[in-house]
Amino acid sequence: MDPSEVEFLAEKEMVQIIPNFSLDKVYLIGGDLGPFNPGLPVQVPVWLALNLKQRQKCRIVPPEWMDVQKLEEIREQERREETFTPIPSPYYMELTKLLLNHAADNIPKADEIRTLVKDIWDTRIAKLRLSIDSFISHQEAHAKLDNLTLMEINTTRSFLLDSLNSMYKLRSNTQPGSAAEKTMDY
Amino acid sequence: MDTQSYMPVPPGIGMEENFFSLDDILLSHERLPCRLQTTFPRLGFLEKSSDTQDIPEGTKMEMPLWLAKGLYEQKRRVLTVELPKVYREGWRTVFGADPNVVDLHKMGPYYYGLGSQMLHFDSPENPEVAQTILQTFIGRFRRIMDSSQNAYDSDTSALVERLDCLERALFRAGQSGLNAFQRWEKGHAHLTASNLVINYRKRKLADMNS
Amino acid sequence: MFCEKAVELIRELHRMGDGQLPAFNEDGIRQVLEEMKALYEQNQSDVNEAKAEGKSELIPTIKFRHNCLLRNQRCIAAYLYDRLLRIRALRWEYGSVLPTNIRFHMCAEELEWFNQYKKSLATYMKSIGGEGGLDITQDMKPPKSLYIEVRCLKDHGEFEIEDGTVILLKKNSQHFLPRWKCEQLIRQGVLEHVIS
Repeated sequence: MDPSEVEFLAEKEMVQIIPNFSLDKVYLIGGDLGPFNPGLPVQVPVWLALNLKQRQKCRIVPPEWMDVQKLEEIREQERREETFTPIPSPYYMELTKLLLNHAADNIPKADEIRTLVKDIWDTRIAKLRLSIDSFISHQEAHAKLDNLTLMEINTTRSFLLDSLNSMYKLRSNTQPGSAAEKTMDY
Repeated sequence: MDTQSYMPVPPGIGMEENFFSLDDILLSHERLPCRLQTTFPRLGFLEKSSDTQDIPEGTKMEMPLWLAKGLYEQKRRVLTVELPKVYREGWRTVFGADPNVVDLHKMGPYYYGLGSQMLHFDSPENPEVAQTILQTFIGRFRRIMDSSQNAYDSDTSALVERLDCLERALFRAGQSGLNAFQRWEKGHAHLTASNLVINYRKRKLADMNS
Repeated sequence: MFCEKAVELIRELHRMGDGQLPAFNEDGIRQVLEEMKALYEQNQSDVNEAKAEGKSELIPTIKFRHNCLLRNQRCIAAYLYDRLLRIRALRWEYGSVLPTNIRFHMCAEELEWFNQYKKSLATYMKSIGGEGGLDITQDMKPPKSLYIEVRCLKDHGEFEIEDGTVILLKKNSQHFLPRWKCEQLIRQGVLEHVIS
């Protein structure tokens, strides 16, 4: 998958906005939107929130977890624990990028949040690499990918699958009779 | 476009070959030292050192893997195949000590592929060969992963030069995953010209200049 | 040794790992086919001799040649197949009209195959997505906006957009165009996507 496709999926996540216009409920295949009333918070998908924001039709309320104190806690926990800690949003990286790039003025301490999220990402990716390496060196047959997000898996997917595939094939070599039986001569 | 529309047939890796894979065809072209255990009449012209009509039993000659594999029979004595040096005990010890010091491109470049293919020929050393190539892969893995994950915009040619074909493919897979993410992160995810088109243009320019 | 010519064909493709299409090597193919013919005829006569005169000592040689025949067959099949993969990719990268210098690299059968592929793809795209069909070669990445800013990298002449307006694509000129109209031109390197 291309990262832009992962981002596209993230844009379906709901976020709260405070519109400055009024509009009746809109009925779409993907679900109903609105009604919109000036000053009244309403939940909309991120793609719409960003579009309205760009046209200065609303203010975006950052998700609860997008907060310096909460993110600091997550970062500490992530550094402390060996396994992947649960993350408040399966699209934390994508949403951070989208919201900070388009609505930084609605998010308190935007720069700090950017750094914190990047720290969390880096810690988790380092952990992911460490576990891939130990996975290979112990010749494990299966792994749990609990709490990993799509973007994280996506950056390493083809590398990991190709590595595992190679290791599997080389390991079959050491067990004659399993794969060696039926091979063709060209 | 980052996604290439041209996706070649991948190599089989291990003991099986993929019929249409260009990599596997080149791998099976690697030459192996063989000793014939039967006479091949009327093929003497293939052996430059002799001017006899036949290739006599007992001749030592190099044969491509595909031919050795095709002629080899476990039950009948047609030919024996010698293990290439890099899979023999001396080198196995080197790999056992530190797999990272070896230039696998120079020793290969199909180190894993050829090693796996050698298992088609009966040899008491086969279990050790299989073990060694597996352990070599595991021992070198960390370095390949780390360098492929840190390689954005930095020069890795010295390291890549020493990788075998299988490792290079892994390195590229790791790099393209990382690069795609970093491009996205920097917001460079706009539409671009096809790599294929760009490369064609480069070649056209080169043709015009030469 | 036999089959050297055949492997040369494979090397030729392997050197261009990015998917470029080298000129169809008609001469190379012909030489391989000639070698195959010779191998086949020699084997035919040796098989007859082995049968008629009970010369079982010929069998290793017959097998030897047979293996060479199979090897040549594999190389040619892989050569042709890999070229088809490249030609198919061209449809997605360049669109349905190929530059002449690339068409020159294809043999008659490959051109025919490309046309057939083009047609199947068009028929399929017409059959999906309602009345107007759906161009699945567009929007390879999720589009962010309907219109995008583009800069012309070379003179391309006149260009009609959907509402009938004709604009002149002149080198270094900048335009604001419907994304789906320019995606192909960007891929071909005529336009460049400008991010403001």
